[in-house]
Parts: sequence; C-alpha cells; structure tokens
Amino acid sequence: MTRNDRPAGTAAASRRRPYRVIDSDVHHSLPDWQALQPYLQEPWRSKILEANSIVGGLGLGAGRNRLDSVTPDGGTPASDPEFTIRQLIVENHIDLAILTGNIYGWNVHPNPEYANAVMSAFNDWTVEHWLTPHPQFRGSIAVNSNDPETAAAEIDRLGERDDMVMAIIGGTSTAPYGQKFFHPIYEAAVRHDLPIGIHVAAAGTGLAPAVSPVGTPRTFFEYHSGLPRIYITQLISLIAEGVFEKFPRLRWLFIEGGVAWLPHVTWRLDKEWRALRREVPWVKRPPSEVIREHCYFTTQPLEEPPQPELLVQILEMIDGRNCLLYSSDYPHWDYDAVHVLNALPADYQPNIFQRNAERLFGL
Amino acid sequence: MARHVVGPADAIPPGGRRVLTVAGRSIGIFNVEGRFHALRNSCLHNQAPVCLGEVGATYLPSEPGQYRRGLDGRVLRCPWHGWEYDITTGRNLIDPGRKLTTYPVTVEDGDLVVHVGGPAPGARPTAADAR
Repeated sequence: MTRNDRPAGTAAASRRRPYRVIDSDVHHSLPDWQALQPYLQEPWRSKILEANSIVGGLGLGAGRNRLDSVTPDGGTPASDPEFTIRQLIVENHIDLAILTGNIYGWNVHPNPEYANAVMSAFNDWTVEHWLTPHPQFRGSIAVNSNDPETAAAEIDRLGERDDMVMAIIGGTSTAPYGQKFFHPIYEAAVRHDLPIGIHVAAAGTGLAPAVSPVGTPRTFFEYHSGLPRIYITQLISLIAEGVFEKFPRLRWLFIEGGVAWLPHVTWRLDKEWRALRREVPWVKRPPSEVIREHCYFTTQPLEEPPQPELLVQILEMIDGRNCLLYSSDYPHWDYDAVHVLNALPADYQPNIFQRNAERLFGL
Repeated sequence: MARHVVGPADAIPPGGRRVLTVAGRSIGIFNVEGRFHALRNSCLHNQAPVCLGEVGATYLPSEPGQYRRGLDGRVLRCPWHGWEYDITTGRNLIDPGRKLTTYPVTVEDGDLVVHVGGPAPGARPTAADAR
C-alpha cells in the first residue's frame, strides 16, 4: 500500500512513514491585508486597509500562534509558503497539506458584500501564491455561508480546479446549517464533487449568536474548551433537516472540533429518533448510520485522556478508522504534531494519515 | 392455545381499546376499523405500559420538508418515550423486525375471545415495512 508519489520538495527522510501523510488543516495566512488589494475591486480595495476585521470581537484574546512560526524575516506565521514547507512539511515528513486559510469566519461579517469580495480575493491569492507554485498544497474554497447564492457561484468559479479539494465555511452561523437557506451551497459542492469543510470560527462576533446558550464566558480558556458545542449543534441540524437525504452525495468534514463528543451525540440522536421520528419523517435511517456515511472529522485538537487506551475505546465507538483525518492546525498554538497520533494503534494510522483524506478529497 | 372470553365485542367501538389481564398477562385489545387486535402491554424499549399510549396517525417516510400523514388510527405511541407501533401487526414503525407480542382475537356469539399461549397470528407486511 505504500505510495511513493511524494511531491517534489519534501525531504527524503529516514523517518518517513510507509504511507502518505496528509495534513487536513493548515492555516495559511495573508502576510498583511494589503496582499489582497490586487484581487479586490473598489470599494473594497480601499476598504480592506481601514476595516478588515469582523465587527465586535469577543475581546477574550484570540488563540495565539506557535511562537516559532513567525517567519525568519519577522512575518505573519504561515504567510510564507517556503517557510511553511520547511517548518511544517519537511520537519514532519508531511506529503500534502490542505490549506484552510483563516477567512471562512467572515460569514458573520455584518456586510455580506464585503465578505464575499474578501473571501473571493483570498481564494485568488491562495491560488496564485500557494497552489500554483507549490505542489505540496491543496486548497479550500472559502465561501460566505451567509450569502448562499454567492457562495454557490464561488464554488462554481473554482470548483473544477484540481488543486481545490473542498469548500470551506465558518463554524458559527446565523442559523443552524441544516436549514434550507444554506442548501444552495451544498448543491454546488455536490455539483463539483467537493466536500464541505466547516471550521470553528468567529463565535460570538459580528452577526453570530452568543458563544454559548448560557451567555459569554469570561476567558478564552472557557471559550476554547467549549468549542465542540458549535459542531454538536450543526451536526444535529444537518441530520434533523435531512440534508444528507436531500444530497446523498454530500460529504462533510468537521475541522478542529475534536472527536470525543461524537459517541454521546450519535447515541443521543439515535435514541431521540426512535421516540420523535414523526417530527422528522425524512430521517429514514438511524442518525448514526447517516453520520457514518457522510461525516468526517479532523483529529486536532485530539483529546488526551490520562490513559491513551481510553481514547482508542472512543474511536472504536465512532468507527474512527474510517472517519478521521490527521490535522495539525499549523501554525496555531494548539497544533498537533504528527507524532501525537503515535498513541493510536498501528492499524489506525494509514487510514488517518492517508486513506481517509484520499477518499474524502479524491486525492 | 387457551381461549379467554373477555367480554362483549361491542364494548370496544372502532377506535377504542381495553386493557385487561388475561392469563396473567396485561394485554391491550384495540378495535381498528371494526377489526380487533390484541397486543402485549409491554413496550420493547423499557417495558412501559405501551397499550395505554395515544392511538393516532404518524408521518410516513418522506422527502425533506414534506409531511405525509398516514396509518391513521393504526399507530400506538408508547406513553413513556414515544416509540410507535402498528397496532394491526405489533411491529415497531422504524424497526419492523421487532414487534410486540400479539394474540389472535375472535368474536364468538358477540363475545371477544383472546387466544393466549399459541403462536401469534401471521402478521402481514404494513406500509411501515416499506420505510
């Protein structure tokens, strides 16, 4: 099963694994907002230099980056493809990195036209500076989930490119993602045989609802520890609204939400379905089956119980061999190096590092 | 199979039911459009007294966003957790391979007779089976 088609530029290291290592969440970043100017029309071209964040930040302090990920010339982490190749790809013997960027959260920007323009410009910048020159990378089409028609058009614009492997949307949204309002995005993704990736972002900012149903926490520690609640809500909505019945070819990747919450949610969904199925009669199969067929999850931030074998038990409960994709989250502070997965049984690793990503992304 | 005369058939009109103890078992007798059905009063889920649940319709498997009402008068919904059964077969609506114990019921000289202890009556497939 060994694949030797490593892209040029990676190290021929003695420690390389007998399978491809694919990293499914790498946050490449603009060096500065000015870099988007060539890809923007007015009025946004001027606007980007004066107002380039989502209104009303949480004020909790955003997650930091790995301190050593600042580029050699003092630049923004993961803004330099060459340095990213050296620090992430070569050092970790990674074969392919899926770029997720950091722009998907603009779906909760109060001005959807501005968000559309910025996301589209970011996609063009990604193609020109990362994907075209560097075969080590594949891209994600960032689309504004709060403007589904424009999002679908953006997927249509870039969806046939071989180097774009998914459409990515923000984890926080103005309504749960199962709802009909969002379906044009999923229709477009299916049209181009692309999975939807969802990435936690921007909770409690801009148009987004409160960070939690009990209000806003006081610390980043609380915010970050509770992030899976976003995906719990989104996953339940996708199931309940019959999204995977309506789009049987749609596949969905939950990025950076962890995985240990899944047994709870799937078992609960199955149990509630037995009691309340008549409310959602289009859900024709146990939700656990639907999830198993359509949903994938990245590993980072992998839960770290005191006894690693407890995590393996949880992965057994969710068919982790077949639904998990390795992700590093480089260059963020809570990065998971490749060796974090050494705690898992050997027979998990080829799937999580290689095969599941190949299947999901068609690599 | 033991015959148990449980009372006059006309005491249970269409849409009605009685829950009785027959041969030491709690059994619900239902009249669905003039035909009688007897079910063991114990839900497959947590042994709740299922025969005390609501009788009504359900929503059949449909396309997202569409509601298709069906099985009117044939659905028994457990009073505890809402598991649904087809009264005429005892089958669970979402898992037709699982069914409540059913008993043959006959009407003899105006009396209802429940036959306990023998094989369950041959259950025919229902619309729910086509889920």
